[in-house]
Amino acid sequence: MNEHDDVMCLVRESFSGLRMDLPVEDVLAAGRARRRRQRRRLSGLTAAAAATAGAAVAVTLTLGGAGPARSGAPPSPSASPVTLATFSVTDGPGHSTTLTLYKGTRLDPSALREDLARHGIPALVTVGTFCRSTGASVSFGQVVQPSTLPDGTDVMVINGAAMPPGTRLSIGYFAGHVRLLLIKDGAPLSCSSTSGQPAVHITPSGTPIRG
Amino acid sequence: MGHEQDEFADFYRASRDSCLRAVTAVVGDRELAEEQVAEAFTRAWTSWGQVRRHAAPRAWVVRTALNLGVSWWRRRHREVPLADHDSAVPGGPGDGVDPALIAALRRLPTRQREVLALRIFLDLDTETTAKVIGVAPGTVTAHLSRAVAALRRDLQPAHTDPDATEVIR
Repeated sequence: MNEHDDVMCLVRESFSGLRMDLPVEDVLAAGRARRRRQRRRLSGLTAAAAATAGAAVAVTLTLGGAGPARSGAPPSPSASPVTLATFSVTDGPGHSTTLTLYKGTRLDPSALREDLARHGIPALVTVGTFCRSTGASVSFGQVVQPSTLPDGTDVMVINGAAMPPGTRLSIGYFAGHVRLLLIKDGAPLSCSSTSGQPAVHITPSGTPIRG
Repeated sequence: MGHEQDEFADFYRASRDSCLRAVTAVVGDRELAEEQVAEAFTRAWTSWGQVRRHAAPRAWVVRTALNLGVSWWRRRHREVPLADHDSAVPGGPGDGVDPALIAALRRLPTRQREVLALRIFLDLDTETTAKVIGVAPGTVTAHLSRAVAALRRDLQPAHTDPDATEVIR
Protein backbone atom coordinates (compact mmCIF):
# COMPACT_ATOMS: atom_id res chain seq x y z
CA MET A 1 0.00 0.00 0.00
CA ASN A 2 1.20 3.49 -0.67
CA GLU A 3 -0.02 7.05 -0.89
CA HIS A 4 -1.27 6.57 -4.45
CA ASP A 5 -3.38 3.50 -3.81
CA ASP A 6 -6.74 5.22 -3.34
CA VAL A 7 -6.62 7.00 -6.69
CA MET A 8 -5.12 4.03 -8.50
CA CYS A 9 -7.80 1.73 -7.11
CA LEU A 10 -10.49 4.18 -8.17
CA VAL A 11 -9.16 4.27 -11.73
CA ARG A 12 -8.75 0.49 -11.84
CA GLU A 13 -12.29 -0.11 -10.63
CA SER A 14 -13.77 2.49 -12.94
CA PHE A 15 -12.36 0.66 -15.97
CA SER A 16 -13.19 -2.82 -14.72
CA GLY A 17 -16.27 -3.11 -16.92
CA LEU A 18 -14.26 -2.54 -20.07
CA ARG A 19 -13.77 -5.80 -21.91
CA MET A 20 -12.40 -6.75 -25.29
CA ASP A 21 -14.84 -9.06 -27.01
CA LEU A 22 -12.86 -9.77 -30.16
CA PRO A 23 -12.43 -13.57 -30.41
CA VAL A 24 -8.87 -14.86 -30.61
CA GLU A 25 -9.77 -16.61 -33.86
CA ASP A 26 -10.21 -13.20 -35.51
CA VAL A 27 -6.78 -12.07 -34.33
CA LEU A 28 -5.18 -15.29 -35.57
CA ALA A 29 -6.88 -14.93 -38.96
CA ALA A 30 -5.77 -11.29 -39.24
CA GLY A 31 -2.24 -12.34 -38.36
CA ARG A 32 -2.24 -15.03 -41.05
CA ALA A 33 -3.46 -12.52 -43.63
CA ARG A 34 -0.76 -10.11 -42.53
CA ARG A 35 1.92 -12.78 -42.90
CA ARG A 36 0.71 -13.56 -46.42
CA ARG A 37 0.95 -9.87 -47.34
CA GLN A 38 4.44 -9.68 -45.86
CA ARG A 39 5.56 -12.75 -47.82
CA ARG A 40 4.24 -11.25 -51.07
CA ARG A 41 5.98 -7.95 -50.34
CA LEU A 42 9.16 -9.77 -49.36
CA SER A 43 9.28 -11.74 -52.60
CA GLY A 44 8.91 -8.48 -54.55
CA LEU A 45 11.66 -6.85 -52.52
CA THR A 46 13.94 -9.85 -53.02
CA ALA A 47 13.65 -9.34 -56.76
CA ALA A 48 14.32 -5.62 -56.35
CA ALA A 49 17.36 -6.30 -54.16
CA ALA A 50 18.70 -8.79 -56.71
CA ALA A 51 18.40 -6.14 -59.41
CA THR A 52 20.11 -3.63 -57.14
CA ALA A 53 22.95 -6.06 -56.45
CA GLY A 54 23.45 -6.56 -60.16
CA ALA A 55 23.67 -2.82 -60.75
CA ALA A 56 26.09 -2.40 -57.86
CA VAL A 57 28.41 -5.11 -59.13
CA ALA A 58 28.51 -3.28 -62.45
CA VAL A 59 29.56 -0.10 -60.64
CA THR A 60 32.26 -1.97 -58.76
CA LEU A 61 33.62 -3.46 -61.95
CA THR A 62 33.68 -0.05 -63.59
CA LEU A 63 35.82 1.20 -60.75
CA GLY A 64 38.13 -1.74 -61.24
CA GLY A 65 37.67 -2.89 -57.68
CA ALA A 66 40.41 -0.51 -56.62
CA GLY A 67 38.49 1.22 -53.87
CA PRO A 68 35.59 0.74 -51.61
CA ALA A 69 32.21 0.80 -53.22
CA ARG A 70 30.49 3.67 -51.46
CA SER A 71 27.14 2.34 -52.37
CA GLY A 72 26.21 -1.16 -53.42
CA ALA A 73 26.41 -4.85 -52.70
CA PRO A 74 29.51 -6.91 -52.05
CA PRO A 75 31.80 -6.84 -55.09
CA SER A 76 32.40 -9.78 -57.37
CA PRO A 77 34.60 -12.59 -56.06
CA SER A 78 37.38 -11.61 -58.46
CA ALA A 79 37.71 -8.10 -57.03
CA SER A 80 40.74 -7.73 -54.77
CA PRO A 81 41.24 -6.38 -52.24
CA VAL A 82 37.69 -7.01 -51.12
CA THR A 83 36.00 -4.06 -49.45
CA LEU A 84 32.40 -4.75 -48.68
CA ALA A 85 29.93 -2.03 -49.43
CA THR A 86 27.46 -1.46 -46.65
CA PHE A 87 24.33 -0.11 -48.25
CA SER A 88 22.59 0.97 -51.38
CA VAL A 89 20.04 3.70 -52.00
CA THR A 90 18.01 3.24 -55.14
CA ASP A 91 14.88 4.68 -56.71
CA GLY A 92 11.67 2.71 -56.56
CA PRO A 93 9.39 0.98 -56.26
CA GLY A 94 7.15 3.71 -57.63
CA HIS A 95 8.04 7.09 -56.21
CA SER A 96 9.65 5.53 -53.15
CA THR A 97 13.32 5.05 -52.37
CA THR A 98 14.77 1.72 -51.33
CA LEU A 99 17.50 1.62 -48.73
CA THR A 100 19.30 -1.71 -48.44
CA LEU A 101 21.62 -2.33 -45.50
CA TYR A 102 23.84 -5.35 -45.92
CA LYS A 103 24.50 -7.55 -42.96
CA GLY A 104 27.84 -7.79 -41.24
CA THR A 105 29.42 -4.67 -42.68
CA ARG A 106 30.53 -1.33 -41.28
CA LEU A 107 28.40 1.64 -42.16
CA ASP A 108 29.72 5.04 -43.18
CA PRO A 109 27.01 7.29 -41.71
CA SER A 110 28.04 10.37 -43.69
CA ALA A 111 27.91 8.50 -46.97
CA LEU A 112 24.48 7.13 -46.22
CA ARG A 113 23.19 10.52 -45.12
CA GLU A 114 24.48 12.12 -48.32
CA ASP A 115 23.02 9.42 -50.52
CA LEU A 116 19.64 9.71 -48.86
CA ALA A 117 19.77 13.49 -49.23
CA ARG A 118 20.41 13.04 -52.95
CA HIS A 119 17.17 11.09 -53.07
CA GLY A 120 15.33 13.87 -51.24
CA ILE A 121 15.31 12.17 -47.86
CA PRO A 122 16.78 14.24 -45.04
CA ALA A 123 18.28 11.95 -42.44
CA LEU A 124 20.36 11.79 -39.32
CA VAL A 125 22.47 8.63 -39.43
CA THR A 126 24.26 7.41 -36.35
CA VAL A 127 26.24 4.26 -35.65
CA GLY A 128 26.01 2.60 -32.25
CA THR A 129 23.61 5.22 -30.96
CA PHE A 130 20.07 6.32 -31.71
CA CYS A 131 18.71 9.85 -31.54
CA ARG A 132 15.16 11.03 -31.01
CA SER A 133 13.80 14.54 -30.74
CA THR A 134 12.57 15.48 -27.34
CA GLY A 135 9.06 16.77 -26.83
CA ALA A 136 6.18 15.73 -29.06
CA SER A 137 6.88 12.76 -31.27
CA VAL A 138 6.13 12.72 -34.97
CA SER A 139 3.77 10.13 -36.31
CA PHE A 140 5.78 7.56 -38.24
CA GLY A 141 2.80 6.78 -40.44
CA GLN A 142 3.68 4.92 -43.61
CA VAL A 143 7.00 6.57 -44.24
CA VAL A 144 9.01 3.36 -44.02
CA GLN A 145 8.07 -0.20 -44.93
CA PRO A 146 10.86 -2.35 -43.49
CA SER A 147 11.60 -5.99 -44.16
CA THR A 148 14.45 -8.39 -43.68
CA LEU A 149 15.61 -10.75 -46.40
CA PRO A 150 16.48 -14.35 -45.54
CA ASP A 151 20.20 -13.55 -45.67
CA GLY A 152 19.80 -10.86 -43.03
CA THR A 153 19.86 -7.91 -45.40
CA ASP A 154 17.59 -5.12 -44.20
CA VAL A 155 15.48 -3.52 -46.90
CA MET A 156 13.57 -0.33 -46.19
CA VAL A 157 11.22 1.24 -48.70
CA ILE A 158 11.05 4.92 -47.78
CA ASN A 159 8.19 7.08 -48.95
CA GLY A 160 9.85 10.48 -48.73
CA ALA A 161 6.66 12.24 -49.82
CA ALA A 162 4.92 10.95 -46.70
CA MET A 163 7.41 12.62 -44.38
CA PRO A 164 5.77 15.60 -42.71
CA PRO A 165 7.44 18.94 -43.49
CA GLY A 166 10.16 19.85 -41.04
CA THR A 167 11.07 16.28 -40.21
CA ARG A 168 13.90 13.94 -41.02
CA LEU A 169 14.60 10.30 -40.57
CA SER A 170 16.73 9.26 -37.63
CA ILE A 171 18.57 6.04 -38.43
CA GLY A 172 20.45 4.31 -35.66
CA TYR A 173 22.70 1.55 -36.97
CA PHE A 174 23.69 -1.12 -34.47
CA ALA A 175 25.55 -4.39 -34.84
CA GLY A 176 22.41 -6.49 -34.66
CA HIS A 177 19.64 -4.17 -35.72
CA VAL A 178 18.59 -0.83 -37.11
CA ARG A 179 16.31 1.72 -35.45
CA LEU A 180 14.27 4.28 -37.33
CA LEU A 181 12.22 7.23 -36.20
CA LEU A 182 11.00 10.54 -37.55
CA ILE A 183 12.44 13.52 -35.72
CA LYS A 184 11.66 17.20 -35.88
CA ASP A 185 14.17 19.55 -37.44
CA GLY A 186 15.62 21.94 -34.93
CA ALA A 187 14.24 20.09 -31.92
CA PRO A 188 16.64 19.12 -29.14
CA LEU A 189 17.88 15.58 -29.58
CA SER A 190 18.18 12.84 -27.04
CA CYS A 191 20.69 10.22 -28.15
CA SER A 192 21.22 6.91 -26.47
CA SER A 193 23.19 3.78 -27.09
CA THR A 194 20.61 1.73 -25.21
CA SER A 195 17.28 0.43 -26.35
CA GLY A 196 14.64 3.10 -25.66
CA GLN A 197 11.42 2.76 -27.58
CA PRO A 198 11.93 2.40 -31.30
CA ALA A 199 9.30 3.19 -33.86
CA VAL A 200 10.48 0.25 -35.90
CA HIS A 201 12.86 -2.37 -34.63
CA ILE A 202 14.40 -4.68 -37.19
CA THR A 203 16.25 -7.70 -35.96
CA PRO A 204 18.64 -9.51 -38.29
CA SER A 205 16.61 -12.67 -38.46
CA GLY A 206 13.04 -11.71 -37.84
CA THR A 207 10.07 -9.71 -38.85
CA PRO A 208 10.25 -6.01 -38.07
CA ILE A 209 8.62 -5.07 -34.81
CA ARG A 210 7.01 -1.77 -34.07
CA GLY A 211 7.18 -1.00 -30.44
CA MET B 1 2.81 -23.77 -34.94
CA GLY B 2 0.08 -25.50 -32.94
CA HIS B 3 1.91 -25.01 -29.67
CA GLU B 4 2.76 -21.41 -30.51
CA GLN B 5 -0.82 -20.71 -31.50
CA ASP B 6 -2.13 -22.14 -28.25
CA GLU B 7 0.42 -20.15 -26.33
CA PHE B 8 -0.54 -16.93 -28.11
CA ALA B 9 -4.25 -17.66 -27.64
CA ASP B 10 -3.71 -18.05 -23.89
CA PHE B 11 -1.71 -14.83 -23.82
CA TYR B 12 -4.40 -12.99 -25.75
CA ARG B 13 -7.26 -14.18 -23.56
CA ALA B 14 -5.37 -13.33 -20.38
CA SER B 15 -4.15 -9.92 -21.55
CA ARG B 16 -6.73 -8.39 -23.87
CA ASP B 17 -8.89 -6.71 -21.23
CA SER B 18 -5.99 -5.15 -19.34
CA CYS B 19 -4.38 -3.97 -22.57
CA LEU B 20 -7.67 -2.46 -23.74
CA ARG B 21 -8.13 -0.65 -20.42
CA ALA B 22 -4.59 0.70 -20.51
CA VAL B 23 -4.88 1.99 -24.06
CA THR B 24 -8.37 3.41 -23.44
CA ALA B 25 -7.09 5.28 -20.41
CA VAL B 26 -4.42 6.88 -22.57
CA VAL B 27 -6.38 7.65 -25.75
CA GLY B 28 -9.72 8.29 -24.02
CA ASP B 29 -11.80 6.56 -26.68
CA ARG B 30 -13.04 2.98 -26.50
CA GLU B 31 -13.52 2.40 -30.22
CA LEU B 32 -10.13 3.79 -31.15
CA ALA B 33 -8.45 1.86 -28.35
CA GLU B 34 -10.12 -1.42 -29.31
CA GLU B 35 -9.01 -1.17 -32.92
CA GLN B 36 -5.47 -0.21 -31.95
CA VAL B 37 -5.24 -3.05 -29.45
CA ALA B 38 -6.62 -5.54 -31.98
CA GLU B 39 -4.04 -4.42 -34.53
CA ALA B 40 -1.28 -4.61 -31.92
CA PHE B 41 -2.28 -8.17 -30.98
CA THR B 42 -2.30 -9.07 -34.66
CA ARG B 43 1.25 -7.77 -34.96
CA ALA B 44 2.18 -9.59 -31.79
CA TRP B 45 0.95 -12.84 -33.29
CA THR B 46 2.78 -12.14 -36.54
CA SER B 47 6.01 -11.69 -34.56
CA TRP B 48 5.15 -14.02 -31.71
CA GLY B 49 8.52 -15.74 -31.78
CA GLN B 50 10.08 -12.46 -30.68
CA VAL B 51 7.28 -10.93 -28.65
CA ARG B 52 7.00 -14.00 -26.43
CA ARG B 53 10.59 -13.43 -25.35
CA HIS B 54 9.97 -9.77 -24.54
CA ALA B 55 10.40 -8.85 -20.90
CA ALA B 56 6.79 -7.65 -20.74
CA PRO B 57 4.75 -8.85 -23.76
CA ARG B 58 1.62 -7.04 -22.58
CA ALA B 59 3.56 -3.81 -22.43
CA TRP B 60 4.78 -4.52 -25.97
CA VAL B 61 1.15 -4.76 -27.09
CA VAL B 62 0.16 -1.54 -25.33
CA ARG B 63 3.22 0.31 -26.62
CA THR B 64 2.54 -0.91 -30.16
CA ALA B 65 -1.13 0.06 -29.92
CA LEU B 66 -0.24 3.54 -28.72
CA ASN B 67 2.41 3.92 -31.40
CA LEU B 68 -0.20 3.25 -34.05
CA GLY B 69 -1.78 6.56 -33.12
CA VAL B 70 -4.84 8.31 -34.33
CA SER B 71 -3.36 8.86 -37.78
CA TRP B 72 -3.37 5.09 -38.34
CA TRP B 73 -7.01 4.94 -37.29
CA ARG B 74 -7.91 7.76 -39.66
CA ARG B 75 -6.12 6.09 -42.56
CA ARG B 76 -7.95 2.89 -41.79
CA HIS B 77 -11.25 4.70 -41.81
CA ARG B 78 -10.31 7.07 -44.61
CA GLU B 79 -10.94 10.08 -42.45
CA VAL B 80 -9.83 13.56 -43.37
CA PRO B 81 -7.15 14.70 -40.93
CA LEU B 82 -8.00 17.63 -38.71
CA ALA B 83 -5.61 20.48 -38.03
CA ASP B 84 -4.42 18.99 -34.75
CA HIS B 85 -3.50 15.70 -36.32
CA ASP B 86 -2.76 13.54 -33.34
CA SER B 87 -5.26 14.61 -30.74
CA ALA B 88 -7.64 11.95 -29.52
CA VAL B 89 -10.79 11.42 -31.50
CA PRO B 90 -13.65 12.59 -29.31
CA GLY B 91 -15.72 9.76 -28.08
CA GLY B 92 -15.76 8.01 -24.76
CA PRO B 93 -14.82 4.78 -23.16
CA GLY B 94 -18.37 3.73 -22.37
CA ASP B 95 -18.93 0.58 -20.33
CA GLY B 96 -19.64 2.49 -17.19
CA VAL B 97 -16.42 4.45 -16.94
CA ASP B 98 -17.05 7.69 -15.08
CA PRO B 99 -17.01 10.56 -17.62
CA ALA B 100 -15.50 12.84 -14.98
CA LEU B 101 -12.59 10.43 -14.65
CA ILE B 102 -12.10 10.35 -18.40
CA ALA B 103 -12.17 14.13 -18.49
CA ALA B 104 -9.60 14.24 -15.71
CA LEU B 105 -7.38 11.71 -17.50
CA ARG B 106 -7.56 13.71 -20.71
CA ARG B 107 -6.30 16.75 -18.88
CA LEU B 108 -3.11 14.91 -17.93
CA PRO B 109 -0.08 15.07 -20.21
CA THR B 110 0.21 11.98 -22.42
CA ARG B 111 3.31 10.70 -20.64
CA GLN B 112 1.58 10.84 -17.26
CA ARG B 113 -1.37 8.94 -18.69
CA GLU B 114 0.97 6.30 -20.08
CA VAL B 115 2.74 5.84 -16.77
CA LEU B 116 -0.56 5.64 -14.94
CA ALA B 117 -1.97 3.10 -17.40
CA LEU B 118 1.08 0.86 -17.33
CA ARG B 119 1.25 0.92 -13.54
CA ILE B 120 -2.46 0.41 -12.92
CA PHE B 121 -3.61 -1.93 -15.66
CA LEU B 122 -0.45 -3.91 -16.41
CA ASP B 123 0.88 -3.87 -12.85
CA LEU B 124 4.33 -2.96 -14.10
CA ASP B 125 6.86 -1.88 -11.53
CA THR B 126 8.75 1.39 -11.81
CA GLU B 127 11.81 -0.16 -13.46
CA THR B 128 9.86 -1.99 -16.14
CA THR B 129 7.63 1.02 -16.80
CA ALA B 130 10.74 3.12 -17.25
CA LYS B 131 12.17 0.65 -19.76
CA VAL B 132 8.91 0.43 -21.70
CA ILE B 133 8.54 4.19 -21.98
CA GLY B 134 12.23 4.87 -22.39
CA VAL B 135 12.76 7.20 -19.44
CA ALA B 136 14.59 7.03 -16.13
CA PRO B 137 12.88 5.31 -13.17
CA GLY B 138 12.89 8.61 -11.29
CA THR B 139 10.94 10.19 -14.12
CA VAL B 140 8.32 7.46 -13.86
CA THR B 141 7.95 8.11 -10.14
CA ALA B 142 7.61 11.85 -10.76
CA HIS B 143 5.03 11.35 -13.53
CA LEU B 144 3.02 8.99 -11.36
CA SER B 145 3.02 11.35 -8.39
CA ARG B 146 1.92 14.29 -10.52
CA ALA B 147 -0.76 12.27 -12.27
CA VAL B 148 -2.19 10.94 -9.03
CA ALA B 149 -2.11 14.37 -7.42
CA ALA B 150 -3.91 15.91 -10.39
CA LEU B 151 -6.54 13.17 -10.43
CA ARG B 152 -7.06 13.42 -6.70
CA ARG B 153 -7.55 17.16 -7.04
CA ASP B 154 -9.88 16.83 -10.01
CA LEU B 155 -11.97 14.03 -8.61
CA GLN B 156 -12.34 15.42 -5.11
CA PRO B 157 -16.06 15.50 -4.26
CA ALA B 158 -17.38 19.03 -4.43
CA HIS B 159 -19.08 18.77 -1.04
CA THR B 160 -15.77 18.45 0.79
CA ASP B 161 -15.21 22.15 0.33
CA PRO B 162 -18.35 24.23 -0.03
CA ASP B 163 -16.32 27.24 -1.09
CA ALA B 164 -14.55 25.41 -3.88
CA THR B 165 -15.60 25.74 -7.49
CA GLU B 166 -15.12 22.64 -9.56
CA VAL B 167 -14.99 23.09 -13.30
CA ILE B 168 -15.11 19.88 -15.28
CA ARG B 169 -14.43 20.60 -18.93
